[in-house]
Amino acid sequence: MFQLAMSSLRRRAGAFVASFLAMFLGSAIIMAFASMLDTAEASGATGTARETLVTMANVVGGWGLLLVVFAVTSTLTLSVRQRAVEMALLKSVGATPAQLGRMIVGEAAGLAVAAALLGIVPGMLIGRALLGMLHDTDQVPADVGYTFGPIAVSMGIGITVVSAVGAALITARRTTRVRVTESLAAAAVDTGRLSRKRVVFAVIFLLVAVQQAVITVTVMDGDSMAMATSGQADIFAAIGLSLLAPAIMRRVTALVAGPLRLFGGAAGGLAADTMGRRTSALAAAVTPVILFVATAVGTLFLQSTENAALEAAGLAKTNEQKNIETLNFVVIAMVVLFTAIMLVNTLIAATAHRRREFGQTRLAGATPGQVLGGAAVEAAVLAVTGVVVGTVASVFTIVPFGLARRDSVTPDGSVWTYLAVVALAAVLTGATAYGATRRAVRVPAVEAALN
Amino acid sequence: MIGRRGPGPADPAGQVPDEALRLENVRKVYGADGNRVVALDGVSLSLPAGSFTAVMGPSGSGKSTLLQCAAGLDRPTEGRVFVDGAALSGDSEAALTKFRRQRIGFVFQQFNLLPTLNVMQNVLLPLKLAGRKADRREARDVLERLGLGERLGHLPSELSGGQQQRVAIARALVTRPRVVFADEPTGALDTRSARDVLGLLQESVHLHGQTVVMVTHDPVAASYANAVLYLADGRIVGHQAAPTAEAVAERMTHLADEVERQRTMTEA
Repeated sequence: MFQLAMSSLRRRAGAFVASFLAMFLGSAIIMAFASMLDTAEASGATGTARETLVTMANVVGGWGLLLVVFAVTSTLTLSVRQRAVEMALLKSVGATPAQLGRMIVGEAAGLAVAAALLGIVPGMLIGRALLGMLHDTDQVPADVGYTFGPIAVSMGIGITVVSAVGAALITARRTTRVRVTESLAAAAVDTGRLSRKRVVFAVIFLLVAVQQAVITVTVMDGDSMAMATSGQADIFAAIGLSLLAPAIMRRVTALVAGPLRLFGGAAGGLAADTMGRRTSALAAAVTPVILFVATAVGTLFLQSTENAALEAAGLAKTNEQKNIETLNFVVIAMVVLFTAIMLVNTLIAATAHRRREFGQTRLAGATPGQVLGGAAVEAAVLAVTGVVVGTVASVFTIVPFGLARRDSVTPDGSVWTYLAVVALAAVLTGATAYGATRRAVRVPAVEAALN
Repeated sequence: MIGRRGPGPADPAGQVPDEALRLENVRKVYGADGNRVVALDGVSLSLPAGSFTAVMGPSGSGKSTLLQCAAGLDRPTEGRVFVDGAALSGDSEAALTKFRRQRIGFVFQQFNLLPTLNVMQNVLLPLKLAGRKADRREARDVLERLGLGERLGHLPSELSGGQQQRVAIARALVTRPRVVFADEPTGALDTRSARDVLGLLQESVHLHGQTVVMVTHDPVAASYANAVLYLADGRIVGHQAAPTAEAVAERMTHLADEVERQRTMTEA
């Protein structure tokens, strides 16, 4: 099975690009921050400088682990699902579910080792740049030199491989439990109904978000530490709402169907008829948009509110506050990077999956332009829904923190920041959907409809 | 009317008034220089309106290529195709699509219904895409005639193969095309459903004056047609009017010998 895993990695490299990218970037970032621990050890830094370096490494390391597991699970699940036929073939020639599981885990582990090793050099470069930034902002004295050592390498490779194997185990369990025919039938008719488990977890995450918001307003009122409790509220809310995404997409598609049929022309009407039956696929695609908007908007406005509060009080930032600001921006950059990979990968996979459907639509008389138009309508619905739901989730962070720090419901900060986040989400969704659909309609219609 | 013809007077204005489909010396070559495969080698034919023609031939004889070139799904390397007197030309895929949706209907072996649309939506789709008024009453009439009146809200995955193919036929007929092309329409069906589907195609010809061209390898299916064209190595090698299943099977059995004999005669 290990041999099979390696040969399928070699032969079907394209299917693993997204997983590989997530692991590679994850390992590079984790190593860069873990090298702060090496730096602290080697330079013998003490006091606040040492504390800064250690906090950096730990916070970003934890976040990195979470994001890598999330991104790798999402990309790996898709690449395995795309190979449903291959999996069914392996089963028919006698592969047991356990063997298939070993193959999936073997592929992921092989990929993770390669990605982590390749991540070493960029990790060193990012780490050096990071320390330079800490020097420039006087958070760490200039005589602390950069060291890239055993802690960085072992943490980078360890976290990447462990999270990849963990993600692969989750994927393998999902894939091998369902019979292939069943999963295909389930994909054909989907009603957007939520499973009980999904609802329970959604409620739990939303309750945690509410609890964090309440604590921020009550216990932490006026305290600078309010950031600690309110900072994660948007993420919990975003995860909770993402779990409800199938139901949200069902409502949204029902809502837009009427106007689309009236004003959307043939392409709009087609999109209206199709979207209602593809709510699961739409929900999978909208999830990264929600996470992206929620964390980016939440954290950026959290920081600008904090800055405004300090300015109003006439205080300069302490070392620790500068530290937190740096961390906030680093975490945002990481979240943006990983959700972007997930978004692009999900959309490309979903579109490739519809190649046959597009071919059939064209045989029924749709021009390539009409197919593209339908895809554009869907992308617009995805982007708008993701932005609205993500903004709602970010409110869980922004409003309580504003109340606690500034006694104001509205956050400080520029409206342009918000518009920039929205524009990035829209461009990413639109450009990916357009590019993937264009590629799908370039194939002759009969050929596409055949397979 | 049907059969091999030389590339004689090819003036579209001088065509027979009731001609639904005409191919003039159509060639289709696949592959690059060193690796050429001639799928169609100069096919000319003319089919009158209201005819039901079966195209038969062994695997690799060019049946499907002929159908795809005639239906505007693929472009011939050489030669011309006329549907209902209009030359099938178009530089862009969009232009070809518009040509097809005005004049041509399709029925495929794998049905090719959209999995996310229900029966009614599938049937109305070609009209909506063409920006024509989607006449639900007429679509319902067609579906009822095909015995699907109770199934309008069902998805394709909830129907049997025979029912799905009947929906596909309704979809092909709803635009009132000049020619319906069917590519192995019974290839994925049991004998009983196959008979129903062939009966429907025959009925659309006899009762409604539809023109149908059907590619098949099944002599029983071919016997539902008015005439059979035999294809081998990309050329039309025979024609048979009022075919019976036995006669078609007999002819198919000896087709290889016949082709060999014709070849030696031309070489001699």
